[in-house]
Amino acid sequence: MADPPRSPDIEPHTTPRWVKVFGIIAAVVILLFVIVLVTRGPGGHGPSRHTGGLGGHPLPANVTAHGV
Amino acid sequence: MTMSPGLRKVALAAHLTVSVGWIGAVAAYMALDVAAATSQDAQTLRAAYLAMEVMARSVIVPLAFASLLTGLVMSVGTKWGLFRHYWVLISLLLTVVATVVLLVETQTIGYFADIAADPTTSGDDLRSLGTTLVHSVGGTVVLLVILVLNLYKPRGMTRYGWRKQHEQRRKQHEQRTALVP
Repeated sequence: MADPPRSPDIEPHTTPRWVKVFGIIAAVVILLFVIVLVTRGPGGHGPSRHTGGLGGHPLPANVTAHGV
Repeated sequence: MTMSPGLRKVALAAHLTVSVGWIGAVAAYMALDVAAATSQDAQTLRAAYLAMEVMARSVIVPLAFASLLTGLVMSVGTKWGLFRHYWVLISLLLTVVATVVLLVETQTIGYFADIAADPTTSGDDLRSLGTTLVHSVGGTVVLLVILVLNLYKPRGMTRYGWRKQHEQRRKQHEQRTALVP
């Protein structure tokens, strides 16, 4: 009689090192983004900075007159 | 649900075409962005902003969605799955983030193009508009990271993938044990 097949080995789940490094880099980038938002105000990033939002460039006078 | 080898090749060809096309389109866009950032000539600025808007709306955004869609098809229709391997999951997250940022940025580009299209806008007003260079450079870096992840497919299973793999192994083991007299 043949031996029954061995039960598959169960190795514990581990997170690879490259994923951890990737996570750290992503966290740093997000942190930098938040710092930019905080230091420049809500208009410091995104489309609102171009449309006269807080801290943004003022609209050109003729564009304002055209109601853009 | 796994695709047949023929269908998988078609899907892979489509995914490669639109994904690499996305990077190429962003590179072309970046050339215009650099012109908008460095030129003092009103005509160059006007032309650059108008071309940037057409390129973003008609080429880059469709390619981004096509890349996302074909990527989803490739991962669901192959052994890789969508949430089983870290490289697939991270590629998906980065593609979604890049697409969302692109959509937001397209509004800014549209705003620039509206101003540039107005013949009464002066050169000084055009020069004060600014650029989207930080976003296009950042976007290119993100797309290259996704490209490298997809080429090298670094090892590593998510907790979900690990659990699924063990369930599969256990089932195979049980089937083999049942066959042994």
